[in-house]
Amino acid sequence: MRALFLPALLALAALPLAAQQDDDSLTWLDSYQEALREAKATGKPIFLEYRCEP
Amino acid sequence: MSQYVLVRIIRMDSVDIGLFEHDRNNTLYFYLINSDEQIYMRYGGRDSIAPDTYLNLESLEVALKQGLDLHEKYKRGELAKAARTKPAFPKELPLLVERTFARNQCVECHLIGDFQNLHREKDKTLDKMTHLYRSPDIKTIGIHLDVPKGLVVKEAKVAAALAGMKAGDRITSVNGTPVVTFGDLQHFYDKTDRRQAKTVQFGVDREGKAEMLTVALPPRWWWTDVRYRQSSVEPRIYFDSRPLTEAEKKDRGLRADGFACEVTRLDSFGTMMKSHSLQVGDIVFGVDGVEKDDDVNTAELYMKLKLTPGDIVKLDVLRDGKRIQSALTSFRLSFRK
Repeated sequence: MRALFLPALLALAALPLAAQQDDDSLTWLDSYQEALREAKATGKPIFLEYRCEP
Repeated sequence: MSQYVLVRIIRMDSVDIGLFEHDRNNTLYFYLINSDEQIYMRYGGRDSIAPDTYLNLESLEVALKQGLDLHEKYKRGELAKAARTKPAFPKELPLLVERTFARNQCVECHLIGDFQNLHREKDKTLDKMTHLYRSPDIKTIGIHLDVPKGLVVKEAKVAAALAGMKAGDRITSVNGTPVVTFGDLQHFYDKTDRRQAKTVQFGVDREGKAEMLTVALPPRWWWTDVRYRQSSVEPRIYFDSRPLTEAEKKDRGLRADGFACEVTRLDSFGTMMKSHSLQVGDIVFGVDGVEKDDDVNTAELYMKLKLTPGDIVKLDVLRDGKRIQSALTSFRLSFRK
């Protein structure tokens, strides 16, 4: 499983960045401020990822 | 994942590096936070062997569930609000501005850490034991985690075992700070004072009962192999070594408490850069006349801690039983020119 973890995330990261949509219909924002606004509006917590550009 | 607002940041230009302070040599690093910018947990961390030793889909799932629980507690007012750290931004690092922003180059995570250290070096506040040797390896004190289960101990050895840690314990705090993930554990363990601390306290949950364990820190508990870090404040000396045993030192007429070490590998860059003329098998037992330092066990580590890149030193060397002196020039790794 460990060997699959980074490749799986790297593949996800290879998608276009602006409000990207993955296969499971998850929307990724690329703006921290926008994430704060959306979290406030929806009451959801934030999953924030820092990573180097592939 | 759908219960979270997802955001991915790949440029550090405008990130509050005061709030999001972590070891910048991680390939991936996640935070679970709320709209008030309260950090529930960190998910990430690594050892010197691989970037994903502690990253695992099962443990991520465990963390995500715990994050939702903490968020509900926060909304109910059951979670204390953390004090906001002083904001800090990459543009406050003049050398970083000069070498990346001004050239419209990407401000990468590792560059933040490296330029912070370059400024510390310039200001004479750099403490390499703390700032270069970040993220000490918990395996050094005998903590081996069952990674898919988060902070559940798979095996406790040496210092951790002596303190009473057992397989199945779930680590809940480090020196009084609650931890939920390995990222939290490594981050707060890293805050342990390199010189003053003699012990570190771990809170554990053992079959529902809270225990506090005091682990004695062994010599050089903070040391990790930093070669993957590509740091520009670490002097490049282009050889690897192993410490001699006390018996080996006595056999060679060297002081038993000294930092004599045997050269085990030469880096070809050293030859190219004419850094030194050491050979595999040489015993390096002195650096500019110094043969002992309480913080180190090899002359190699002594130089990495004490030299500023560019320094030239005279080594005392034992080669084929004969004492010789040999010069070594250290170099600085430079990322952007």
